[in-house]
Formats: sequence, C-alpha cells, structure tokens
Amino acid sequence: MNSFTGKSDGGDTSEFQEDLNIFREIYFFAGLPLDMLKLLAYLSTRDTYKPGDVLFEQGDEDDRAYFIIAGQATLEDSTGGQTRPIRTYQQGDFIGGLALLGRVRRLFALKATTDLVCLSITREKFTKALEQFPENMPKIIKAIIERISAWDDRFLKESTSDHCEACRNNAGVSLL
Amino acid sequence: MYSQDNSQSQGLLRMKKPNLPVSKRSLFSWVRTSSLKLQGLLVVVIAITVFARVVPLEMQKRIVNEAIFLRKIDLLLTYCGIYLVAVLAASGLKFLINTLETIIGQRALADMRKDLYHHILTLPLNFFRKTQPGLVVNALVSELSTSGNFVGMAVAAPVTNILTLLAFASYLIWLNPLLGIISLSIYPIVVFIVPMVQRGANKANKKRVDTARNMSDKITESVSGIHEVHSNAAYHIENRKFDAIVNKLLKIRIVWSLYRFGVKVLNNFFVNLSPFLIFLLGGYLAMKGQLELGALVAFLSAQEKLYTPWKELIEFYQVYEDASVRYKRVMQYFDALPEHAIEAEDRETHDLAGPLNVKDLTFVTESGIRLLDGINLDLQAGEQLALVGFSGSGKSTLALCIGQLYKYNSGHVLLNNFEVSNLSKQDMVHNMGFVSQSPFIFTGTIEDNLMYSCLAQVNGDLQLDREQLPSLDDIIEVLQQTGIFVDVLRFGLNAVLEKTQHQNLIEVLIRIRENFQRDFGEALADYVEFFNENKYLYHSNVAENLTFGTSNNNTFETERLSENTYFQNFLDEADLKRPLLELGSELSRQTVDILGNLPADEVFFKQSPIMADELDDYKILVEQLKNKKLHQLNAEEQERLLHLALRFTPGIHKMVGLPQILERLILEGRSLFREKVTIDFPDDFSFYQLTDYIYNETILNNIFFGKTKTENPQAQEKINQSIIQLLIEEDVLETIVEIGLQFQVGSKGDRLSGGQRQKLAIARSFLKKPNLLIMDEATSALDNSSQARIQRLLETRWKGHATLIAVVHRLDIIKNFDKIAVLKAGKIVELGGYEDLIAKKGMLYELVHGKK
Repeated sequence: MNSFTGKSDGGDTSEFQEDLNIFREIYFFAGLPLDMLKLLAYLSTRDTYKPGDVLFEQGDEDDRAYFIIAGQATLEDSTGGQTRPIRTYQQGDFIGGLALLGRVRRLFALKATTDLVCLSITREKFTKALEQFPENMPKIIKAIIERISAWDDRFLKESTSDHCEACRNNAGVSLL
Repeated sequence: MYSQDNSQSQGLLRMKKPNLPVSKRSLFSWVRTSSLKLQGLLVVVIAITVFARVVPLEMQKRIVNEAIFLRKIDLLLTYCGIYLVAVLAASGLKFLINTLETIIGQRALADMRKDLYHHILTLPLNFFRKTQPGLVVNALVSELSTSGNFVGMAVAAPVTNILTLLAFASYLIWLNPLLGIISLSIYPIVVFIVPMVQRGANKANKKRVDTARNMSDKITESVSGIHEVHSNAAYHIENRKFDAIVNKLLKIRIVWSLYRFGVKVLNNFFVNLSPFLIFLLGGYLAMKGQLELGALVAFLSAQEKLYTPWKELIEFYQVYEDASVRYKRVMQYFDALPEHAIEAEDRETHDLAGPLNVKDLTFVTESGIRLLDGINLDLQAGEQLALVGFSGSGKSTLALCIGQLYKYNSGHVLLNNFEVSNLSKQDMVHNMGFVSQSPFIFTGTIEDNLMYSCLAQVNGDLQLDREQLPSLDDIIEVLQQTGIFVDVLRFGLNAVLEKTQHQNLIEVLIRIRENFQRDFGEALADYVEFFNENKYLYHSNVAENLTFGTSNNNTFETERLSENTYFQNFLDEADLKRPLLELGSELSRQTVDILGNLPADEVFFKQSPIMADELDDYKILVEQLKNKKLHQLNAEEQERLLHLALRFTPGIHKMVGLPQILERLILEGRSLFREKVTIDFPDDFSFYQLTDYIYNETILNNIFFGKTKTENPQAQEKINQSIIQLLIEEDVLETIVEIGLQFQVGSKGDRLSGGQRQKLAIARSFLKKPNLLIMDEATSALDNSSQARIQRLLETRWKGHATLIAVVHRLDIIKNFDKIAVLKAGKIVELGGYEDLIAKKGMLYELVHGKK
C-alpha cells in the first residue's frame, strides 16, 4: 500500500496537513506551540506494515514513537518463553512516547495484526526539534506525569473490580 | 650479528634529530638550525649591497665638486652612469635579500610548527583535559608566525643595517671628523632610552598573549557547549563573559600599541635632531669658508641615509622582542613531557603475550582523589575478565591504567612480566587493541578508519608496508564478525558508479536486475516503486518524471534544467509552466514556513526541497510572493521557482501534495518530451529501459529498476536479504563491499549512526589481532543482536588467543567471562567466576538482581 493512496482526493490537503492534525490531537504533544508541531509533523514519516510484521521486538532498544493511522497491532510478552498477547492497539493510539525522551529497552514486542499504517518519529529528530524550542520541555513532562498518574489510578480501580487483589500490590508507579 | 648492526644503524638514524624537546629550545636555536648555506649567501649579498649603497654618495660629491665645478660633460655622464648602476644594483640586491629572508623565515616557521605539533600529540591525556583545542590552534597558527619572521631576519637585518651604518659613519668621519662625530653622538642616547620604553611594550605583549588565550578558550567553550547555551537561552550570560574578555584585550592592545609607537616616535625625534646640529654647525663652517659646499651637500645626504638602516634596526629590535615574548609564552605552555617513551631506541619491540599481573595498583588524580586504591589482579594469557560496578567505581580507570593511557602512581601492572609504565608506546600498540566508550572516527572512508590501527603500527606508510597490512579477505571477515558488513554493503549499494569504471560489474548488475524482477519483484513491490513508463513515479522528482531518462548532454542535468531554454519552451508547449510555477511557490511558502528559522542541520533539511544554503534566497522570494502575482515575477525569480518545482518528489517532500491535474499533465508531458527529444537530440538521451544501466542512479536503484519507498528498518532488512542472495549468486558481493569501503564517513564520522561507529571501532581493533584486548563499554550503543554477536565472537574466537579486559555496563553478557571483578570506590570488592559470585549472594548478586 502506497502512503499516497491514504490521502484525500481534494488535492488541497497534503500529507503534511493531515499529519499536523494528528500531532495536534496526541496528548504527548498537547500544548506545544504550532511552530514546533509543524516541525514534528514535517520530520515524522509514514510506514506501512503487513500482518505479522514486527514494529519492535522485546528487548530491542527502539528509538521511536508510533501513531496508528489505520489498522491494528498487538502488544506481546514472551517472558519465560511463552508468548502472550497483552492488548491490541488500533487507529488513533499513540505508543512509545518515552522512547523520545531517552534510551529505553522495549519490554514487549509490537506486531501488526492487519495491514497497518503508522506515523512515527525518531528520538534523534524529536530531540533536534526540542532543541529549537527548549522552553517546551516542561509541557511534555507535565503531559507524561498526568498520563502516568491517570494510568495508576485506573489500574487501582480496575484491580479492585476484577478478581485480582494481588495485582494491587504492584500499583504505585505514579510514586516513582 | 649482522642484523644487530643493522638495527643499531637504524637507531642512530633516529637519533639524528635533537633530543631536546621542542618546548625547551630557544628562539635563537632556530637560527642555528636554519639553512647555513642560505645564511652564508645572505651575508655575501649583504656585503655587496652595503658597498652599492655607499657608491652613490661618493658620486654625488664628485658630480658637484668635479663635474659641475669643472664643467666637464663627460665626467658628469660617467658619474651619473655609475650612480644609476649602483642604485639599480642596490634595489635588486634588496629584493634578493628579502627573498632569502622569507625563504629562511618560512622554513623555520614550518619546522617550528611541525616539531611543536609532533610534540603536542605525544603529551599525556591529562594535558588535554586542561587544554582547549582553540588554544593549540592559536599557538600553532598565529602566535608562532612572528618567530618565523624573526628567524628570517635574524642574520640579515642586523648585519645589513650595522654594516650600512658603519659604512656611512666612517664615510661621514672621513668627510669631516668633527661634523661626523657630532651627528653620531645622538645614537648612544637612543640606544639607552628605547629599551626602557620597549620593556613596557613587552609587559603589555605578555598580557596580550595570555588574554588572547583566554579569549580562544572562551570561544571554544561556547562553541562546544552550544547545546546548553541554546537550551537555556543563556546568550546574555555567555555574551557578558566574552565581552569582558574582549574589553580587557582592547585595553591591553591599546597600551601595547602606544608603547610600540612610543618607541618609533622617540627614535624619530632623536634621529631628526642630528640634521639640526649639522645645519647649525655645517652652515657656520661653510660661511666661514672652512667647508666646501659640495662636501656639505654630500654630508647632509649621507647623514640622511643613516636614518633608514637605523629605523630598520629599531624595527628588527621590536620584532625580536615581540617574537621572543610570544615564543616563550607558547613554549612554556607546552613544556611538558610525554609520560611514556614513544619508541625504544636500543631494542626490538617486546612481545607481550603472557600473563597479566596487577599488584597494589593505585591511581590518584592531581587534585588528590584516589580513583584506584590497592588493586590486585592476576590473569593467565588468553583469559577474559569483566570489570563491573556503578559508574565512578573506577572500572574504566583500571582499564585505562592497564592500557598505559593513564600513568599509575604506585603499584605494578605487569604484562608478560614487563612493567607497563616502562614500556614504550610502540610496545603497547604492537600488542594491544583498545576500544573506547565513544570511539573517534576520522574524516575519510570506512577503509581509512578500519586500517587506522594497522597503519599506525607500520608508521602510517601505506606504500612501503602493503604486505604487512590486512588483505581484503581479512577485512571482509572482520566486517562480518562485527556485524557492520551489511552496513558497508548498503553503502556500496547506494554508491553511484562513474561511467568509465566497473564495466564488468555493470553487465552483471543488469543480469541481477532481471533476476530480481523474476524472484523478488512481487514480494518487494510494497517497498519499491518500479520505473514504469505509464505511471507517475512518486519517489522520483518532477524532472525525472518528465524526462524519464538520462542525458549525456549536461545542460539536461536535473539541477540545470530550469535554465535550459529548450526545456523551458517545452514546458510552455506542454502547458506545464504555470502549474509548475504554482507548485514551486507553494513549496517555497510551506518549506520556509516550517524551516525558515532553523539552523542548517542535516536532520532538518533531509526531507526539504530547499537546501540549507538556498534557504535565504527562498525566504526573500516568499516575501516577494506576498505582494506579487506569478506573472509579475522577473525571469530569475521564475527560474528559481521552477528549479524547486522540478526537484519536487512527493514521496519525500510531504509538505505539499501533488495536484492530480498536474500529475496527468506531467504524464502527458513525458510522451511529448520523448517525441520532441528523439527528433531534436537523437543521440543525447537514453530513456529508462530494462536493458540499460542508469548512470546517475545508485547501484541499488539500478537493480530495482526503480526506487526504494521507505527507510523503515524492517523493510530494509527484507530488501537486504534478497539483494545479498542475488549478489552472492553472481559473485559480486565482495565487489560491492569494496565499493562500500570507500564510503566517506563525514567529519568525525557524522554520516554513521552511533552503532555503526562503535562496530567500526571494534572492527578496527579486531583487524589488528592484538594479544591484549581492552574494551571500555565498547558495545553500549549496539542493539541486542549485534551485542550478542560480538559477545559470542569473544567467547569462541578470541578466548585463549587474546587476554580480554572488558568494562561492562550491561550485566546480561558477563556469564561466560573467566573472571569478574566487582569494583566499588576504587577497590575490588569481589573477584571470581560468575556462578561462584552469584552463589555468594554478595555485591554481584545485588547488581544483577537489584537491591531488595
């Protein structure tokens, strides 16, 4: 699938405009000035994957964040030799933002389960862009903190409603 | 016996150079070592010049006293003739003197620069931690140049001018002893006063050198810390610091200049006093009839001639003072000694394959911090040791001490029973391979960087020692071992071949193209856009889409098409000019909007149709477009827009979409262009076809007969696999790798990724086949599989052959090391095999499993 077939037929909207709109809606970049979002949209790339293609392997040091434009991908964990699916990501999901801020080792693998179109940006490009707009780092940190906090909160609530009392012992990532 | 003699004579050859380090040499020693033949020639020329300078004076007197007084035309002509010849000779000889001075001076300067540079490179690492690169640059480039000038003048200036002065002085005394002595009486006063003023100038000059040094330090600091400056917007802070230094320098320079001019003014004043005395006394004597008028004229002009040599002598004195201040300042700064002998002169290089013993090793920094404290360690030859511990525990320092890069303060490091601190650098490099945490890659090709260590071993002489260097097979083996093989292959595949080279390869590539289409065409169709006459190519630019071929007529090159009148007429005919201008203006508007205020960084401009150096032109153009319609633009501006539009590649330049109407028009244009060109330039064009090699495309695109659509690593992997298979089938894999080895890595290797740089550095050490391998977190930037590959290699191929000391950051790779040393605060707290230490549940256990 060519990335150009994804664009609307009007001829007025470029891929860049669409990507810019995507960036404006991702929580991670919320509150960043338009000039920086334009630069990020310009630097990001679209990639297509076939069912079974791997976006990143468990244990890999991956250096990019992904936004799913179309299709589905599954997160898998193979700790202990057995592969278990964790969850499925779909259109509109943003994955791997922390990799933009520093080196991380992927604890899971991400695999395409259908034909998949992703918008992605690498840490190198993100860092270079941030260097041009250094005053925006606090906004990104704020977005992440809120996200982690919300995650922990949800985890706590969900583990009470389910039958997983033991899971509650692992809550508290927001206290990092 | 014979061979021993031979080696001794080689030793003597090396000894020929003076043993004194360059930083201890005096400024005058450079005069002694300059070419004595040239200096001798110079003295001879000077003697003749002085004679040629005195002759006109005598002629002058004779013309007045004899020729004019006696009214003899023939004498007048003769004397004038001699006068003319003497003046001509004096000017010609002066030029010759200047030439000789320049040659001597510049040669000395070149020698000084070379010797000092050679000396600086051998100084200990410690020295460079305190020294900014800018300072070294400044010393070598500007501060030494006056010393060169001095060496050039050192013989000529004093000899010429003193001889001239003496000659004129004797002539004056000979003319009239009384007047002579009076007019010369001024000079002793000048000799007494001038040095007093010059001392002030010297003091200011010393301060100037130091402050200039601070300034270059400051500049270097802010340039290397520019990231921090930008991210804090700390421009004011840095500006304040810099401005303060510049202001200080300003004051010093003004004082310095005032003193220097002071010397000149004083000198002028005193020297001009003497004509005054002559007029007074000489005039009186002439009136009294005790002096001939001709003699007075001769005396006055001879006396005037004293001025030039005297002025030159004073200038020489100032150059000498300036040069010696700068020279001493520079040499004092670099007056340190290398910590280790570079090469041992009286023996062969030691073979250090053998056990490694570390006893009570201690390393204390200059500021008294104990980085290593009583380390004891023993390894058999071929054993492998991992050094682990938190950062700051001393593990890197230990590795650096063993590798002789740091000089330890007490204790012993014994390699095959030789004390490391007594060994020469030569001994070490013949036995050791060192891979540092952030290896440095030099400007040049991949091959240059791979061969760096091996070439250094044979004194950098590529021609002389070709046989001792690794062969292509060795290189390819190491490339494969370190996992950089695929990268190098990729560089080769992305190379554009010259028309005259690789004729055989080109035939093979055409064959591979057919096989590729047959075997992989379908499977890789998602990643490759094949050239197809009837389709628009989104990964090729507009120009390529229109011409759909290559031309051997260089006015049809993509970058020059917009100024080609034939092509412009074609665009008009194909109704393409207006829409392309429109596209160009949209592209410039959007690109300037996104990139307008960004620095020229490769990351930002890789996906831009406007190159970094063109951005300013297009910014102006975009301003124009705000007030003007397209048809109101002048020809040059239209050409600029057209230029951009022809570069537009929708697959890369995403800021603008390709309007569908334009796409159809361009496809129409493609066939019109072909029709026209086939008639008008039948021999100039070759259109893309499966049987022809496309010379301005890369090897890979030629195999594809198309272009890659994506940089996505997974896609690249799939493409690599199929291409490698095809290349092996046709037996050209090595040829492509050879082409890839010629890839230019950019300045400091910035065209390579961090992982590629590390793999290259590891390959560089492996290629040397060392007895001792020291790896300081050498695999930290590598992905998992590359790291595992290198670890496997160390465990199989190198175990038993090379002693390995590895500073390890990731603990998942240490299981198979023979010994593991856990360091904490400069001491070894645990030492033993992996299983034993884990069973002990001590420090290593804690490091591996985390603190509970």
